[in-house]
Amino acid sequence: MILRYLVAMVVITAVWAGVSWLLEVVRGRQILPAPWDTAIAAGETLSVLATAFGTSALRFLIALAVAFALGLPLGLAVGFERKLDRYLSPLIYLLYPMPPVALLLFLYLAFGLGEVVRLVVVVMALFFQVVVAAQGAAKYVVPSHITAVRSAGATRWQIYRHVVLPATLPSVLTAARVSVGLGITMLYIAETKLGVLLGPGAGLGRFIEYYTFRGDIALAGVVGLALLGLLFYVVLELLERVLCRWKFVGARGGT
Amino acid sequence: MIEVDGLTLIYGRGEAAVPAVAGLSMAVDSYELVSVVGPSGCGKTTLLFALDGLLTPTAGKIRIHGEEVRGVRRDVALILQDAGLLPWKTVRANAELALRVQGRKESATRVLADLGLAGFERRFPSELSEGMKRRVGIARALALQPRVMLMDEPTANLDSITREHIQNLILGLWWEMGFTGVLVTHDMEEAVFLGKRILVLSGRPARVVEVLDNPGMGEPGYRGTPEFMERVAHLRQVLGGNGP
Repeated sequence: MILRYLVAMVVITAVWAGVSWLLEVVRGRQILPAPWDTAIAAGETLSVLATAFGTSALRFLIALAVAFALGLPLGLAVGFERKLDRYLSPLIYLLYPMPPVALLLFLYLAFGLGEVVRLVVVVMALFFQVVVAAQGAAKYVVPSHITAVRSAGATRWQIYRHVVLPATLPSVLTAARVSVGLGITMLYIAETKLGVLLGPGAGLGRFIEYYTFRGDIALAGVVGLALLGLLFYVVLELLERVLCRWKFVGARGGT
Repeated sequence: MIEVDGLTLIYGRGEAAVPAVAGLSMAVDSYELVSVVGPSGCGKTTLLFALDGLLTPTAGKIRIHGEEVRGVRRDVALILQDAGLLPWKTVRANAELALRVQGRKESATRVLADLGLAGFERRFPSELSEGMKRRVGIARALALQPRVMLMDEPTANLDSITREHIQNLILGLWWEMGFTGVLVTHDMEEAVFLGKRILVLSGRPARVVEVLDNPGMGEPGYRGTPEFMERVAHLRQVLGGNGP
């Protein structure tokens, strides 16, 4: 797996170098800094870049945790409880396609320009992804699995704990993995639009914005964002392998 | 002892109401194993779920050991069709599921070993053969040490060798543990092999149309006897009457 990611990185770097060279030839001056220029720029600003990466990673981690903590119970309940489904689903589907970016002004007025508002934007984006995935999966819990615990006298809470949550976890984690891309975009927007007064260490978005006129350094920030997305993608995949071990045993080819 | 008196179960309300069971009465003595057969979709499983307390009767009464059934009872265990194992739990966790739900600390190690599942405790259901899955489903019920055992087509969709194996297993467990049992099946040979009495249900809504005594049940080699064949043929005639 690691080898394949390394190969992908080499391919991307090669394409990047090719495009950079092509643009320079066609336009007569450097447009897109080459990978090596970017690497040198990254080396020059390494400590700031690392701080920005750490800040963004922590921010994304918190947002992801909050989105899960809020979205998972709501999504499962709405998907599993018919009455909630009837009343809350229209609400969710009305709010779901609404981009938090469109509400930036109001979010800013409501939460100010502090750390909270940056988190809120990312949480809002991920929250609905988690809710919708959990709701969809909870709707299709196998009835005989519920009967199995109900016939033992399970309480509502036990049904969620033994059946609904473990049954839906794989698809919720997959959805979360798919949403990392969207989340990183939202993180970038939150850090640029809502971080104007901050220094370059206040997140990768801010880092890129801060170095707008130093293309090579800004591009190092973009690479940082890509690696951040990859990091969370891999973490979520590993989490799925640990928490949903049963999903991966069939591949062993047992009888 | 299970007593069912005028049991009626209706799904839905108003125009869309579907009666699944209508005025069904039956009784199962303590330590008796009774099989229930009927045309497919006649409400056999509905009856079993009502006995387990999973469904509330629209009318009529169910009593187990003299007490009216209101919700799930801890001395009653249900074996589900296709075992109903949770794919995310290991064999051990599945076998101990009902125990844990009831807050009991006992282990299922002995029961699993008795059913030939020792060494498979840490496997997941997807790694088991169909017959082993059924045995885990049986282990889950047995672990509760229930006084009443309800079985919903425990051998459906099994190959014939595995089916006979599971049928022998159920008979052996009944001898050994002496539970009161109700076994729902659409397999007529199974009904005769495992029922001291055989209740024949009508099509939906279900009522008892015939009770067939089966005194030879449980004797060694019963499966091959003329007595056995005769009862199977009789059931086939009664149930085949309205054509497959």
